[in-house]
Amino acid sequence: MADFIGGLPYYILEFGDELVYFTPYTITLFLLALAFTLLAIISRPERQMDIAFGGDAYRTKDISISEMRFRRFMAIACGLASMGAMVTGDIFNFTLFTAMVGITNVGIVAAVKSPHVQDAAYQYGLVALSATVPLFAGAAVYAAATGSLSMIELMKGTLPAVPLVAKAMLVTGVVGEGMAPFYAAKAEMFRAPGAPYVIMCSLSSLLIFLRVVEVVMLG
Amino acid sequence: MIAELVLATLFGLLLLGIHRKLIARIQRRPGPPVWQEILHMLKFSFKTTWIPNTASPTLFVGVVLIAIGIWTAAFYVLVSGGSLLVILGIYMLHKIVEHGFGLSSGSPYGKYGGVRSVISAASEIPLFVSVAVIGVYSHSLDLSSIIQYQQVSGPLLFTAFPVACAMFLVILSKMPFGPFSIVESKELVSGYKTEHFGIWRAGLEVCNGLKTYVLLAVFLTVFIGPLTLPWLLAGMIILIVLLAFSCAITPMMSPFDSVTIQMMVTGMMLVYAAIVLVVVHP
Repeated sequence: MADFIGGLPYYILEFGDELVYFTPYTITLFLLALAFTLLAIISRPERQMDIAFGGDAYRTKDISISEMRFRRFMAIACGLASMGAMVTGDIFNFTLFTAMVGITNVGIVAAVKSPHVQDAAYQYGLVALSATVPLFAGAAVYAAATGSLSMIELMKGTLPAVPLVAKAMLVTGVVGEGMAPFYAAKAEMFRAPGAPYVIMCSLSSLLIFLRVVEVVMLG
Repeated sequence: MIAELVLATLFGLLLLGIHRKLIARIQRRPGPPVWQEILHMLKFSFKTTWIPNTASPTLFVGVVLIAIGIWTAAFYVLVSGGSLLVILGIYMLHKIVEHGFGLSSGSPYGKYGGVRSVISAASEIPLFVSVAVIGVYSHSLDLSSIIQYQQVSGPLLFTAFPVACAMFLVILSKMPFGPFSIVESKELVSGYKTEHFGIWRAGLEVCNGLKTYVLLAVFLTVFIGPLTLPWLLAGMIILIVLLAFSCAITPMMSPFDSVTIQMMVTGMMLVYAAIVLVVVHP
């Protein structure tokens, strides 16, 4: 019996070597991604208040309908990618979903019509782009070293050990796609208006990071 | 299960009240009665409630339900002896809830509280390292297996003392009035929860009570082992006294200092984890 780090699976859906599985851990993360995606679909953005420095004046930042539609689309795509990354049992699929999370995160914030936010989105885009190299290279080393990309096979412990460098590359890729210090320090992105969509950025980053913790503990 | 959940929430709120009272007494103030947090929760439950004009209404309400939901799930995992990794995941997802609380209102105070919550994600990284080291010792991340390991090999508190210190720091970063409580510092009014009042704040209080209970109970379960209920409650009170002393005698740090110190602890924990992996359990 494979050693499931996130608890015993409730359900395994097999597609040949690839599969989707729901353990208590993956289903918790999946449900969170689903809940926030539903919130992104049904929520309208807030009207963020901005106080002028050195005075009592304030104004609200309103989001246009076209901007809201685009960002909502990106947030939904981000939610779907996150859900996929949470339950997939295949390393390569995980990297694909993670790369998609990075792309959609850039899309969510790049639509904001503020130079500061767009600068942050551009810089993040460059980091996310660079991070795909170690991300996919990590998956490639997994395949080369063990002969399989299936997480269930890795859990069984019958395959050769996964080289530490493959795990390090995978984590570096995930960090670059969405986690501190490259992303969380960019306050401009997180304080952009459009709470239901911006939250999808931080949620998806955190979720893929939580999932990669489980992935690197296999094999 | 519902009765246990309610009792855990009330005891968690009582612990927060003890925490607040102790801080006040250490600082030579009278402080509120220890049941003040329970009274707060009850008071907010019956106060007039509305949603600010600038808020995203669905998200404003939704995050409250999600906050209660995730900690209820964590409580269930704790009681059923499930995977420590699930509790770790829920603990980290609390960041998103704080971010959601802050951003959904449209208030600048809430917004900056939420942003600080996201940038202080560094405080959670020692938790990953702690969990990894615990996994190395006990060969499992199930709470029931960790308890069994400690029955045979003694408490992890002594075997892996640096991990216990790191976990203590992680819990400290979630306590109110602590050195790392930058998300609700006074220059931001009440930070991410500034605009949530009435029944929404009552929901947040419930979440805080449950969160405190779960975190302290997980700490004792992981580092001490199996405890009967009276000993578990006594252990939680001892822990809250230690946390109160830590909070009372240290000033709140600036966001930069807070993150820097947490990153330093992460670095030290990584070195410790490497030593454990290479030397102790090669």
